[in-house]
Amino acid sequence: MNETKPKVRVFSTPTCPYCVALKSYLQEHNVEFEYIDVSQDLVAQKEMIEKSGQYGVPVAEINGEIIIGFNQERINQLLNIK
Amino acid sequence: MIYDVIIIGGGPAGITAGIYAARKKLKTLLITKEWGGQITKAVDIENWPGTKKISGIDLMKQMTEHLKNFELEIKQDREIIDLDKKGENFVINDGEEKYEAKSVIIATGKVPRLLNIPGESEFKGRGVSICSTCDAPMFKDRDVVVVGGGNAGFNVALDMIKYAKKVYVLDFFEEMKGDPITKDKLVKSGIVEFITNVAVKEIKGTKFVESLIYEDRKTGKDTEINIGGVFISVGMAAKVEFAEKLVELNKIGEIVIDKDNNTKTPGLFAAGDITDIKYEQIVIACGEGAKAVLAATDYLKNK
Repeated sequence: MNETKPKVRVFSTPTCPYCVALKSYLQEHNVEFEYIDVSQDLVAQKEMIEKSGQYGVPVAEINGEIIIGFNQERINQLLNIK
Repeated sequence: MIYDVIIIGGGPAGITAGIYAARKKLKTLLITKEWGGQITKAVDIENWPGTKKISGIDLMKQMTEHLKNFELEIKQDREIIDLDKKGENFVINDGEEKYEAKSVIIATGKVPRLLNIPGESEFKGRGVSICSTCDAPMFKDRDVVVVGGGNAGFNVALDMIKYAKKVYVLDFFEEMKGDPITKDKLVKSGIVEFITNVAVKEIKGTKFVESLIYEDRKTGKDTEINIGGVFISVGMAAKVEFAEKLVELNKIGEIVIDKDNNTKTPGLFAAGDITDIKYEQIVIACGEGAKAVLAATDYLKNK
């Protein structure tokens, strides 16, 4: 892991299978992240739609970069997961 | 290099076939576009013997890890564009490479059927969705359309009435096939409008979906409704164009097989949801994958 902790936010809904997969993947690799339930937090939902340009969950934000879906390859690159 | 068997597909049928073929010591290649297929969208699976409850993604992970323990070759992110005979053998083309095998098992399953209309792929993720379980909460206080009035479509509409302001349910036919009990629930919500005998023609918008045009099939008149979301639920489709010349299809496009997974071409087998077997379940697809390998093994022995 890098010296400075990466800032990771996960926008998701409770019932979406790929959101669950993304969350457990981050947990498996001991990545701390902020979990945002956009079915409850409508301000965050709006933020997510604006930043990602789309309505689908999950969306991850890693150090300001937006990743749409459970894109394991890109997440690995950004978080240095090998 | 000529393989004993090439398995096409990485869902429950294909993975099980891979495990069986490797254990039979067949020279095996498994080619798949992705892993898991439809099961990756299942939230909770509670009928997989030995495991009380498991998510589709976790089950898929367990299956692929199990598969990769064995000796077989795997190519992923590849989609087959052609399958043909070459003498006694088969040749498979994935657009990058060609492979030759003595026998082939097709286990590519089904994918959600699409409407193939303008705007559909353009607005995917930007208002067009095929996963209401995932995306329903994103449509709070909006008007949405559910295309498809079967049970699946009705269940999508049930997800949507929790959030949306208004839900249109559109069906191509005069009668909707979904259960009357579910329909009653939707009617009781007071926000669902059912429109039958219509063909959806176009999804329009700028950045996101803004409207949808449908044609009344009786009068031919077009109507445009302003909506923020479109959920497509018009069933599942088998994609078998690559193999069409070697298999017989039933009227809904599934590969016709006999009880031992033989297609009409000797040496070519099919397993799982892509076939005309009536019941589509994970445990059944796995069983069919195993059967196809056992049949292929017999075929190779008697060749």
